[in-house]
Amino acid sequence: MRSISSPPVMRQASSMTGPSGAPAATQPAVPRPIPPRTRHWSALLWIAPAFGMYAVFVLYPMLQSVQYSFYDWDGIGPATPAGLDNWKAIFTQPELLHSVEHAFILIIFYTILPVGLGLIAASFIRELRPGAFSTTARVVLFVPQVLPLVAAGIAWTWMYSSDGLVNQVLRAVGLDRHARAWLGDFTFALPAVGVIGVWVMLGFCTVLLLAGIGKIDPALYEAARLDGAGRISEFFAVTLPGLRRELVVCTTFTMIAALASFDVVQIATQGGPGYQTMVPGVEIYRLTFLQQHVGQASALAVFLAALVLLIIWPIQRLGREK
Amino acid sequence: MRSLTQYRRIVQVAAVAVLLLLNACAPGGNSDAGPAPSKPVSTGVGSEPVTLKLLVNSGVDVPFYTALGELFHAKYDNVTVKVENQDYATLTTTIARILAGSNVPDLVRVSQLGNLIEDRLLTSLDPYAKTYGWDQWPQSQFASTRVGPDGKQRGTGALYAAGAGFGLTGVYYNKALAQRIGMTRPPATVAEFGQLLAKAKDAGLQPIMINGKDGGSVYPLQNLVMSSAGDAQAVQDWNYAKPGASIDNPATVKAATTLQRWGQDGYLPADVNDIDQTRAPAEFVKGNGVFFPSGNWQAPGLDKAGAGEFGFFLFPPGEAGGPSYAMTAAANLGIPAKSPNADVAAAFLDFVQTNQQARQATVTLGGLVPAGPSNASAPTAPQGSAVAATVSAFQELLTSNGLVGFMADATASIHVNSLIPQTQLLLAGKTTPEAYAAKVQSDYERDLGQ
Repeated sequence: MRSISSPPVMRQASSMTGPSGAPAATQPAVPRPIPPRTRHWSALLWIAPAFGMYAVFVLYPMLQSVQYSFYDWDGIGPATPAGLDNWKAIFTQPELLHSVEHAFILIIFYTILPVGLGLIAASFIRELRPGAFSTTARVVLFVPQVLPLVAAGIAWTWMYSSDGLVNQVLRAVGLDRHARAWLGDFTFALPAVGVIGVWVMLGFCTVLLLAGIGKIDPALYEAARLDGAGRISEFFAVTLPGLRRELVVCTTFTMIAALASFDVVQIATQGGPGYQTMVPGVEIYRLTFLQQHVGQASALAVFLAALVLLIIWPIQRLGREK
Repeated sequence: MRSLTQYRRIVQVAAVAVLLLLNACAPGGNSDAGPAPSKPVSTGVGSEPVTLKLLVNSGVDVPFYTALGELFHAKYDNVTVKVENQDYATLTTTIARILAGSNVPDLVRVSQLGNLIEDRLLTSLDPYAKTYGWDQWPQSQFASTRVGPDGKQRGTGALYAAGAGFGLTGVYYNKALAQRIGMTRPPATVAEFGQLLAKAKDAGLQPIMINGKDGGSVYPLQNLVMSSAGDAQAVQDWNYAKPGASIDNPATVKAATTLQRWGQDGYLPADVNDIDQTRAPAEFVKGNGVFFPSGNWQAPGLDKAGAGEFGFFLFPPGEAGGPSYAMTAAANLGIPAKSPNADVAAAFLDFVQTNQQARQATVTLGGLVPAGPSNASAPTAPQGSAVAATVSAFQELLTSNGLVGFMADATASIHVNSLIPQTQLLLAGKTTPEAYAAKVQSDYERDLGQ
């Protein structure tokens, strides 16, 4: 899943350094005139290799998925046209629709909490003097990003079990009443999975926001201080506006991770108990590989992709300069 | 800046491309390929050097089939058996692709037949069954891998897979704890079992240890269904997708009611829905649980943890003296339709089912019970061990026709999408026994209807 969601970050990161790193003034004042036609064709030549790969490995499979979604196909044998049946099923089968709902609930844990906490953490770390402590803080926060999600899922499953670390801590402080098998509890399973998401995403958001803060002109902070701004108003007047692009990257990346989540749920709960933590990613996997309903799986996948685009699009617009 | 007309043009081109693609031929293979012409089969393995390629699951399968391969090579020295492996989840999800590809194995471990028959990817074993005389053996061992001409209904039609050994479910018990609650012999009825559970509860013990997270709780449920029905025909028909089969009936409702009550009475662990198949046996070995409903694949591990400490009995019938049933599934191997060494592969299949040493390896290395002909030698296991108990229970059921398939195998997804979540809801009191039976049945019909 992560490999799918990484490209937007890279794209954003490169566009981020573009304008600020190379201001317009450094460009030659009078560009040599090039006949428009030649420029057009040579441009095509330059993008051809990258576009070729993109078309073969991304665009073509995407269009194929759209095509499959109108068929009833097991992946091997003959396919029969299914009209809109696969699409209707998304809205009529309660399990499929609930899985989409859960993905939206996960946005709270994958996006809102990590970005919010990341902002706070980054502001604090900025004020630390560079040294062992601030480096340690960064490393500790970033470590979850380095671990494979499957390993993280297994480790958290142990911690959440009835005798696991979470319950041991609760019992140690006298909260025995609240100890429970978190991933087996109908009320707490989804939030418990969400907390794993917070843990994974927080480091990424903090490090990215910290890099963004480093780019903000220190003169602005100084000016704010001279104007009598406290920490809070400094945060709202300088830090927050200066982090606009980084915030868009964080939000985009984490929202995609939330809506397309798969590994943590597959490892930690397999969608249970009942259907409490079922998400579209797991549903698509089961439909394709277990039930061999490639058509139904494709319809859900295309629906999910469209949903992601629909939600990401306004955020991307927010990120553009006025 | 692009002009509006340019945008419009791009949209037009894209639309045309999509339409062209959609109108192109449908995905998938050709439906008109008739059944492969049946070739004459031979029982010989020839004298030419042959490499027989086996594709099995990772883990215990590897040393087990490697040992079988060495035994086979010792008998036919021109045949070298090469064992390749993929982990269970990978093989289950990629098997159709592998068998449709160009580099197929000669024998493949088939956990679920799925669409393999419909897509003509496996060879029918019927000619071999006839030549080798498998058709003279107790036939219940082959029922689950017979598939009808429609490619869906099982239990009838041609044979597509056979295996060295079988899994078998029942109830393990901790001998010391069972003695403490006064159990002198295995319960004769479900009611008697219930009384033992109550005694265990009163003695401050955990009556049943079970993994509700990944489907262990479905085993006692299916056993309760068969016990309350008094026979297994309805369940067996359901498993084999016989037209009109249904488990939305009083037996299932009664079974679900009993299991739900066991949960409410505290006979099942409080966090049952969070216990998985790794943790359940570990807890049981630690003494957390008097009874542990599971399968014979646990027996070697339990014997290792405490030789002679754990016993095994078949799930009790509804009425005293009634028939006992157990769920079973073979460790099936199939011969891919494209295998160039089908005759040698079939000879291997016959060998593992009949050879004395191979049958012993099946028990000791595979943790499975061999079936084969009714007069075949039973493998040995230490007296009083859990393994010995499962082996003798299997022999008993093989002759009494008490072997039934797992409801979990009825369709590809009934286990993960219906039985597991619905049983979790049932144990949490979030669904009623009636709604449980109706929902599992409607999911089943939806699975088959597509």
